[in-house]
Amino acid sequence: MNRAVIRALLAGAGCVAATHVCAEPGTSITIYANNQALVQDTRLIDFTGGRQRIEFKGVSAQIRPETVSLTAPDLNIIEQNFDYDLLSPAKMMEKAVGHTVTLVRTVPGTGVEKREQAEVLATNGGVVLRIGDHVEVLRDDGMPVRVIFDKVPDNLRASPTLSVTVDAKAGQREAALRYLTPGLGWRADYVALFDEGTNKIDVQGWVTLTNNSGTSYDKAETVLVAGNPNIIGQYNQGNDSEGMTDAGTESGTRARLGDYYLYPLPERTTIANQQTKQVSFLDVHGAPAKHGYEFRLGWMQTIEQPVSAASVYQFSNASKGGLGDQLPAGIVRFYLRDKTGAPQFIGEHGIGNTPMGSQLAISTGDAFDVKVKSTVENRERIGGHFDYNWKTAMRYTLTNALPKPVTVTLVQDGLWGDTKIESESQKSTHRSADSAAWEVVVPANGTTDVTATFDSKY
Amino acid sequence: MRWIAAVFLGLAAPAVAGDVAASAPTKLSVTVYRSPERQSGSFNLNNLGGFALVTETRTVHLPAGESRLRFEGVVGGIVPESAIVTGLPRGVIEKNRDAALLSPSALMQRAIGTEVTLVRTDKKSGKIVRMPAKMRSASDDGVVFETPEGVEALRCDGLPETFSYARVPAGLSSKPTLSVLTRSPTAITATVTLSYIAEGFDWGADYTATINPDGKTLNLGGWITLANGNGESLPQAQTQIVAGRLNRSRVDPDPNILNQPHVAARCWPMGNTGHVNATSDPLPPVRIELVRPYQMALQGYGFAPPPPPPAPMAMRAANAMDIMVTATKKAEQLGDLKLYRIPATTIAARQTKQSRLIDTQAVPFTQVYLVDIDANGGDDTEKASILLRTKNTLANKLGLPLPAGKVAVFEPGARGPAFVGEVKSRDFANDEEIEWRFGDAFNVTAKHVTTDYVAGAPEFAQLAPGLRAVAHKGSTIATVTFTNANGAPVYAELRLRLDADEHIKAADAPMGMKDGRPIFRLTVPANGTAAIHYVVE
Repeated sequence: MNRAVIRALLAGAGCVAATHVCAEPGTSITIYANNQALVQDTRLIDFTGGRQRIEFKGVSAQIRPETVSLTAPDLNIIEQNFDYDLLSPAKMMEKAVGHTVTLVRTVPGTGVEKREQAEVLATNGGVVLRIGDHVEVLRDDGMPVRVIFDKVPDNLRASPTLSVTVDAKAGQREAALRYLTPGLGWRADYVALFDEGTNKIDVQGWVTLTNNSGTSYDKAETVLVAGNPNIIGQYNQGNDSEGMTDAGTESGTRARLGDYYLYPLPERTTIANQQTKQVSFLDVHGAPAKHGYEFRLGWMQTIEQPVSAASVYQFSNASKGGLGDQLPAGIVRFYLRDKTGAPQFIGEHGIGNTPMGSQLAISTGDAFDVKVKSTVENRERIGGHFDYNWKTAMRYTLTNALPKPVTVTLVQDGLWGDTKIESESQKSTHRSADSAAWEVVVPANGTTDVTATFDSKY
Repeated sequence: MRWIAAVFLGLAAPAVAGDVAASAPTKLSVTVYRSPERQSGSFNLNNLGGFALVTETRTVHLPAGESRLRFEGVVGGIVPESAIVTGLPRGVIEKNRDAALLSPSALMQRAIGTEVTLVRTDKKSGKIVRMPAKMRSASDDGVVFETPEGVEALRCDGLPETFSYARVPAGLSSKPTLSVLTRSPTAITATVTLSYIAEGFDWGADYTATINPDGKTLNLGGWITLANGNGESLPQAQTQIVAGRLNRSRVDPDPNILNQPHVAARCWPMGNTGHVNATSDPLPPVRIELVRPYQMALQGYGFAPPPPPPAPMAMRAANAMDIMVTATKKAEQLGDLKLYRIPATTIAARQTKQSRLIDTQAVPFTQVYLVDIDANGGDDTEKASILLRTKNTLANKLGLPLPAGKVAVFEPGARGPAFVGEVKSRDFANDEEIEWRFGDAFNVTAKHVTTDYVAGAPEFAQLAPGLRAVAHKGSTIATVTFTNANGAPVYAELRLRLDADEHIKAADAPMGMKDGRPIFRLTVPANGTAAIHYVVE
């Protein structure tokens, strides 16, 4: 039977989910969202028996050498080395101090080549050579001189090289090299198409992985991990709750690793260096969604020029009536169909890692036609000069230039807990002690005023 | 065995996916969006912060099995992760964007450990010597190679030398390439749609308000000015623009684009006795640039693309602004945004293009000489600013969304309309009041004088035994005197700024409120003065 078939069958049998114990030859990679990956490289190695130095080529150019481990049956590690003295002309010359090089001079005019041996004495700012019984500075007169070295010194390499000295029993067998490397990361990208007629949303989710580790990984079994393990000295992205209004409590069926969720790629894939790769993980049609408006005022203040309300789309990722999956951190791009049916982009917003069952509210931008103006109509001191409260009368003017009525969630923030609402033109709700919210209906091509008087300490 | 055969069929091809190029776009649509950072005014041609949604229809011929379908000629500013591909019979297995580019540096780095040919040219005779060599290292620190004679460093000997390569290494492409991996059960021809967001576009509205000789109405004209700062043209594109502000998410610049390899032929220290301070202040190692460092538009929001290579003047000269005239455009509602359609047109690389947005005559307006001051300031003289005020209604021959941009104001002059100022304009929705403050008056000034301060009754507080504090509530009395050096009366407004707990206690003129602030409206007679007195408490 074809080898590819066996591989595919094995992969289908669950090798993918438990990627780092999968002993199949080849590469398996677990990529975390915070630019960090665990690479397991399984190779067939011919052990000569006894002490042996093994060099690993084709590992990530950004390998974290302190995280390397090599495992194989009947193998003892003597030492691991990571050589990063890189081969360059300056390094070659430096290592040649005290040694002999060959100089080839071309005689100007005749083009005749003249060879001689020279000892390199020093390379401080310029190269000083001893040639026979005299000392010279290399190319002091600017004439062409070729310098030929016998060989490249042993420990100078074109790229940092990992080597492991082992004591192993002779024979060919598989060995697994495992290490962490930065330079591989991923996030999610979502495409959301909202249908205004039915208030339904189609959402596609893509994992977007990026490889700038300096190395390509051929036919790698790949798993992406949603969640952020701590990395010392690194800020964790996606830890905020952006876009989420209520955190969910559902678990779902997706494979997990501790507290994190796993997104295995369905097939082995080649992750080339400098490649951005996207694979679909979510495709939901017709989930219910709602469109609305929100305006938030930070403090009891006057806004002289009207400011647009935010256009907000709300949906859930619950199993019932929602997208039915965890949402790894990423960017949600919203589209709407125009009059001709062509999807048009209407704005995007980031989301954090969102557990299943959460409520999301994503602002795509400003509403052109729905605006709010606020006025401090009166502000006076109640009480004496040294012990007083403030009484503030606010007017919020909401305008709607759309030919249909809209509802705006108007939020007055900055109430600092001890503020009381003395009177208001319509009933407010309180999400927290710091804010009051009104659901304001603004008629088609109309205006609605909301007034409220606050009694506050500041 | 049968099911295994089926699996085999499905997976037989994967080892080497056939490379298929999609046709050039047969249909193009581009929707241009304003920079989310700019709420008014014009874009900067050298730093276009807007973007576009590009939708291309292409034809593809797919063989049976797995194919890597390449899309060539996409707009350079593409945000690859925004790409959407539809129309493939079995969908997309994966999308890739490869940014490993063919460059002198990449060519050398990929040659490490392989055989190349060293080429030396004799300066005198022009004789070329070729010699097999093996590349040992190529980095920003220099290039080392090995020949049968030994190990040498490139261009450290003063001789003209370079390498010649047998072929381009696999995986290097001339431009960042977008491709998708797909499978087809049979050979087919399909029409696929590729859409993506691309940076390096922008647009703004450019209005002209020409005041009629009656001084009471103006003619408002407006252009949509859009720009493509990318190096690719969009031939015969169905074009839309969207008005309003959209959210964009800040994305770090793509490291795959930024981290292009860089190789330079550096040598060992080259100081010589001609350099007086060779030891104490060694000259840096000689560095010969082999490559022009690769530059490309930074992807992502917040990072406007770097200036396009041609200077703006040269660009304007090369591509004289493309102008198309139509009547006032109708806005289509797109969610909470406005969409305008421009007849299909070619948007050339690095081009600005204009299309008529609005043309309307005899819009009634009021010209206001405005003085906007702190109620408690005093003893200074200010020039009034001049503003045009109207309301965006049908009755005023408007009543349509007026997207953000700039307004140039013209007044009738002896030799035709004369430019008198310009102003940034935000997005105005239907029915909003419009105020364009376009200049400072020469002839209308206001002198603001605090004439008196009256202390109110004192208040006392016992802070601690033996420590008493006293406070006064006071009133400021002020006069603002307008002067008009024009030969005609002018309409003026005085707007006062107050602290939150202050109010105007009394005034000798009727006071109104506008935008939450006290306002006095008055007419200043020709070559005369008018004064307002008020008391702040």
